[in-house]
Amino acid sequence: MQAQNSPVQVMGIDAGGTMTDTFFVRKDGRFVVGKAQSNPEDESLAIFNSSEDALAHWGRNVDQVYPELLTCVYSGTAMLNRVVQRRGMDVGLICNKGFEQVHSMGRAIQSYLGYALEDRIHLNTHRYDEPLVPLSRTRGVTERTDVQGTVVIPLREQEVRQATRELVDAGAKAIVICLLQSHKNGTNEKRTRDICRYELSKMGVDVPVFASVDYYPSRKESHRMNTTILEAYAAEPSRKTLQKVSDRFKKHGSKFDLRVMATHGGTISWKARELSRTIVSGPIGGVIGSKLLGEVLGYENIACSDIGGTSFDMALITKGNFSIISDPDMARLVLSLPLVAMDSVGAGAGSFVRIDPYSGGIKLGPDSAGYRVGTCWPESGLDTVSVSDCHVVLGYLNPENFLGGAIKLNVERARQHIKAQIADPLGLSIEDAAAGVIELLDLQLRDYLRANISAKGYSAADFVCFSYGGAGPVHTYGYTEGAGFKDVIVPAWAAGFSAFGCACADFEYRYDKSVDVAIPQNGSDVDKVTACRTIQTAWEELAAKVIEEFEINGFKRNEVILQPGFRMQYMGQLNDLEINSPITMAATAADWDRMVEAYEETYARVYASSARSPELGFSVTGAIMRGLVPVQKPTLPEDPEEGPTPPKDAFLGTRKFYRHKKWVDAKLWKMEALRPGNEITGPAIIESDATTFVVPEGFATYVDKHRLFHLKEVKQRPTHLREVK
Amino acid sequence: MKTDASTSKKTKAAEELVGGLLGNGQTLKQYRDAIQDRTKTTGFYNGLERLDLRESDPIRYEKLFSKLRGGLVHSRETAKKIAASPIVEQEGELCFTLYNAAGDCVLTSTGIIIHVGTMGAAIKYMIENDWESNPGINPGDMFTNNDCSIGNVHPCDIATIVPIFIQGKLVGWVGGVTHVIDTGSITPGSMSTGQVQRFGDGFMITCRKTGVNDKPLRDWLHESQRAVRTPKYWILDEKTRIAGCHMIRTLVEEVVAEEGLEAYEKFAFEVIEEGRRGLISRLKAMTIPGKYRKAAFVDVPYAHPDVQTPNAFAKIDTIMHQPVEIDIRKDGSWRLDFEGASRWGWHSYNAHQVAFTSGIWVMMTQTLVPTQRINDGAYYGTEFRLPKGTWMNPDDRRTGHAYAWHFLVSGWSAMWRALSHSYFSRGYLEEVNSGNANTSNWLQGGGINQDGEIHAVNSFEASSCGTGAGAIKDGLNHAAAIWNPEGDMGDIEIWEMAEPLVYLGRSAKCNSGGYGKYRGGTGFETLRMVWNAQDWTMFFMGNGYMNSDWGMMGGYPSATGYRFEAHNTGLKERITYGDTLPLGADTNPAEAGYENHINVRAKVKRDKQCMTTEDCYENYDLYLNYLRGGPGFGDPLEREPEAIARDLNNNLLLPEYARKVHGAVIEQDDKGVWSVDVKKTIANRAEHRKARLARALPTREWMKKERDRILIGRAITAVKQMYATSFALSPKFLGEFKTFWNLPEDWTLNEEDLDIPTYGSKYREDLSKLPDVHTVVLVEE
Repeated sequence: MQAQNSPVQVMGIDAGGTMTDTFFVRKDGRFVVGKAQSNPEDESLAIFNSSEDALAHWGRNVDQVYPELLTCVYSGTAMLNRVVQRRGMDVGLICNKGFEQVHSMGRAIQSYLGYALEDRIHLNTHRYDEPLVPLSRTRGVTERTDVQGTVVIPLREQEVRQATRELVDAGAKAIVICLLQSHKNGTNEKRTRDICRYELSKMGVDVPVFASVDYYPSRKESHRMNTTILEAYAAEPSRKTLQKVSDRFKKHGSKFDLRVMATHGGTISWKARELSRTIVSGPIGGVIGSKLLGEVLGYENIACSDIGGTSFDMALITKGNFSIISDPDMARLVLSLPLVAMDSVGAGAGSFVRIDPYSGGIKLGPDSAGYRVGTCWPESGLDTVSVSDCHVVLGYLNPENFLGGAIKLNVERARQHIKAQIADPLGLSIEDAAAGVIELLDLQLRDYLRANISAKGYSAADFVCFSYGGAGPVHTYGYTEGAGFKDVIVPAWAAGFSAFGCACADFEYRYDKSVDVAIPQNGSDVDKVTACRTIQTAWEELAAKVIEEFEINGFKRNEVILQPGFRMQYMGQLNDLEINSPITMAATAADWDRMVEAYEETYARVYASSARSPELGFSVTGAIMRGLVPVQKPTLPEDPEEGPTPPKDAFLGTRKFYRHKKWVDAKLWKMEALRPGNEITGPAIIESDATTFVVPEGFATYVDKHRLFHLKEVKQRPTHLREVK
Repeated sequence: MKTDASTSKKTKAAEELVGGLLGNGQTLKQYRDAIQDRTKTTGFYNGLERLDLRESDPIRYEKLFSKLRGGLVHSRETAKKIAASPIVEQEGELCFTLYNAAGDCVLTSTGIIIHVGTMGAAIKYMIENDWESNPGINPGDMFTNNDCSIGNVHPCDIATIVPIFIQGKLVGWVGGVTHVIDTGSITPGSMSTGQVQRFGDGFMITCRKTGVNDKPLRDWLHESQRAVRTPKYWILDEKTRIAGCHMIRTLVEEVVAEEGLEAYEKFAFEVIEEGRRGLISRLKAMTIPGKYRKAAFVDVPYAHPDVQTPNAFAKIDTIMHQPVEIDIRKDGSWRLDFEGASRWGWHSYNAHQVAFTSGIWVMMTQTLVPTQRINDGAYYGTEFRLPKGTWMNPDDRRTGHAYAWHFLVSGWSAMWRALSHSYFSRGYLEEVNSGNANTSNWLQGGGINQDGEIHAVNSFEASSCGTGAGAIKDGLNHAAAIWNPEGDMGDIEIWEMAEPLVYLGRSAKCNSGGYGKYRGGTGFETLRMVWNAQDWTMFFMGNGYMNSDWGMMGGYPSATGYRFEAHNTGLKERITYGDTLPLGADTNPAEAGYENHINVRAKVKRDKQCMTTEDCYENYDLYLNYLRGGPGFGDPLEREPEAIARDLNNNLLLPEYARKVHGAVIEQDDKGVWSVDVKKTIANRAEHRKARLARALPTREWMKKERDRILIGRAITAVKQMYATSFALSPKFLGEFKTFWNLPEDWTLNEEDLDIPTYGSKYREDLSKLPDVHTVVLVEE
């Protein structure tokens, strides 16, 4: 242990439904992880307990460390749970008259969102969730604005006053306003908001008002309405929780401003206007962490892969950027939020394995054993084989040291279940059946990764693959084998990588706005200049919102780095692409041409150049403004390299390990004891409490100075392993 | 020089042809015939009694499956984003399918999988008609098909078919299909009415070679874009199909590179036999052997003045009829027999045999076989009998097909109900579905849109109709279509981009779900005002005078359709002066509520005529798009009081019907909240039951009365015409009818005695009569 007195700079919080994890990083890159039981009644207490647990590793406590911290990022599932369990605020909704049922009807797609492919076609499994706002707390006001922003029916203001009074009478604790096409012309919606506020003040009630134009002025009313409702329904209660957390930090001497991980990949203040975009953050953390690692290591194309118990999540960083989708779905609701684009397969380390009774084929998932591991854990009460069972019988996992020995696994029990349920029906030995399941899962994951890379117009050879998540390193070799990645990297802190990533995120606001600009292929310069003016106006409007947010946190305008972007499509198409703008100001015809050029280049990569259709002309559908202020990020650990031979105390013995139709003796290594520069050749298994890194025959790995493991396929003995750096 | 070049080219081509396209000296037809023979003689697809690859290496087999299926799904998801049409992009009306060299489907993507068979039929047509010698089948070729006489459902489904060559030989085909927004038929929209023959159905393309060297031919691009009203959508749809087909071709090349050609080809046959076995094991697991009989009907009201046809002989009211007998045998095999179906007609609702047999799987995968492992194996596991000359297997090459769905939806729904009886008997209550909505209205039309362009519209809100009630729960409201379980009505703000029609309301349709212990899912309705359009037309499509589905175990059918349109509404002035406006739901059509909020002199059409042809609309005119509900399950007198109160409070049920049909005693408090008095309801229901008994007749007595009506011919002409066409096609059906009603030996019913035009009843010419045409027959006729 060196530099014991190195100050603690960064704190990350991952407040899950059952456990609250905290993650502290010192200036010298060393980190500790703490755990405590979550406390839905008072999250600040769980965070305090978790912090104490973590800091005890360094013999320190909260009162000593909180004042040292430069930055702290929160991510949690409380808001998501509030939505899923429908425990949010009693919201009232004002919409267009004649459209009162639109929200409770939901979009039909919401009756099968989140379903596996086979259930999506199986009609009788579909169901709607309860609407967030009941019909009894919804009122319509006469008004219509058309698709081009022209008012068709002027607002009948008296109806707003009446609706406001009725909603308060019906028990609304907040009022959401969302009128059709208000993203195009917000005048009537803003007027409705002002009248509603005035009426509330006249009534002397303290009911906050949320108008969709102030939050998510983007096309698609069901997305915009759901998101604005979430802002009132779920985000406001979260804001109160975060305030409490912030207050407790202050009580213990903290000087930092608490930030929250947001869907667009940056962090925002808990005071931010659009807090509902903090509804999910966990999986995004891994992507942000990968981006930071990539910057340090000099990789600009990264395939991020995260395997948990139930799913495989992947995201791509191309040219140093992740992509954003603007109308995602979460909690079975269509939303209008910028979300780091991630793809998920419903197959993970704990997925159940079954033989389909009709086709006789192997079926993985979509349900999973979750925390119950599999039939190998007798106390689980499970009798359906899981992927973990297969790993246990093949010697991948240590039955004595699962989760650091917290539970003991019974190999024979898993063997018998695999025999009866999988091996015998397929006419295979237990080992071959189990190995077949693993190969099949890994193949699915590999193809999925590759398909997503090729769908973006790239080849795997352009990418470095990062593998993390508690179960990731068990599968890493399997889903990268033969894929042709430039390098495959497993961080020693794979299990805590998402929390690490959250702590890496910049302080960043991002605002989006729909715009409609269309110019034919050979449009005139005059038209192009007009188009630029529209875009520039939108950028300026968004920039003002971004800066306003930073000013709440005490930053000045000139401290904020602004990055404009836009969404473009061929005229008439329905899908646009998000483009980081090659220009910072749009004014001239040449500016327009540069935007078009950037779009066409991306389009050709994504959909093949034969799909390009410049003859249709070009539309800009959205303006984007990102503003960021750099913050202190965790430093990577950096130790001198100590040569290829691992220290003796890292060697734990051997275990029988089955792959490619034979049993071999795999060497076991203790991950924490391996030193930078060490090389391990498979068959080997590198174990730590939280994760198991499998290096089968034909693979070798090398630990670099940042405690990142590089995995490489080798034909025989590795002689030039270092080249993988 | 020139001669040399062409000679050497010829020699090269001749060399390539030595082994034929398949490299084994066989023509495609010989190859396909041999597969058919082996299938027929052994009962296993291609004679595959054993699945060698699968049995010897199940893991490798699964890997092949996973790679190909994953790739197909992924290609669809990527390609779909190229399209501009909300039908493709928002509603997902596209599908990609991989075929073996004989045109049998190996695997398919997600999407509207009716096209598994329709594109396969096109490939088979090319095989049977020797496309390989003329126009030739080469690497880099593209073929386009939408011909309804050789299997396509309706002309708006355009298929691009690309042959896959590996190591110089044809190893399969990939097809991609999209539902385009306009097909250049006599009226705008993808599924038009009015024309009564193929010749008005729109641009028709018969397996035409439209591209070489992976590039569309210029003559094709020019011709096709001017053949339709919406060239921009058309061209982006074509790019979508081509991009997807090419992605899948690359996928197959990669899989062959990894696994070898032999393994791939083995897989491409074994997976079809596996699909066949999969269907049989599902039938064994889910159903009870026996004969299940159901019937379906739908109205074709063409006598009405608002249906303009070019031909006098089509101006009659008719009814389409489809009895079905499903015979499930103990060994899990089954036969679907449609003996007795009515003859095709002079309208655009006929269907080709393949549209019918292939389309069935889009329904079956929602219930009997909800699996990704669907392919032509299911077709080989099913015996179809579609008598020649019926509406689903016409024997005349003039038939119109633009809206084949008009009756396909009811026809399949009858089968779903039959299966539900079987599930119910077997105890799978959660699988029961008492039927399906008639997926209409279809809002279509065109003219000059808000951007000043020639335009056509085709709303797909019909993808979200109410679903049938189950045996344990209500149907889902505004959720799906029988042709697409993944329905979605889409966002108003997107439809308003595509249509110059401002929404004045979107609401669940009160009372549209069939009553029952569990009610059918309600449909929904949207009120539209024409806005910023010029020379605008629209029309209506759907069932109006008749139910098109019936419910189960005492459940009611869903409500039928009706139309509402209003012209000269005075809305412009009413908006200016702040008068009341028609906004939201037409809650109780009997009260004609909208009419209170428009000009008293407005011209309103509010009736059951739900089939119309193109009519003119001015700005500020109104059009109601009412999407139907689903049928109910069980006796409505058994419905839980809380459920009745909930429906009343959510505007899903009219109070009058809570009383009349559910026997509920209800009251409303001063805040307007409804509740059901449970005690009084129990007593009231007892009275209802007594009244029912008092009204009831023994079946034999009732049959006697009905028989008398038959003998004196007391039925409307449409009913008589319907039966007469069935009797003319099927003496067996006539015999059964006579036996059932105990009619005299000489009783009969002839079309020519009905005093209506009988054009086409006697003289017909099948496509197969054309010179050099070999049609593909995939069913027993």
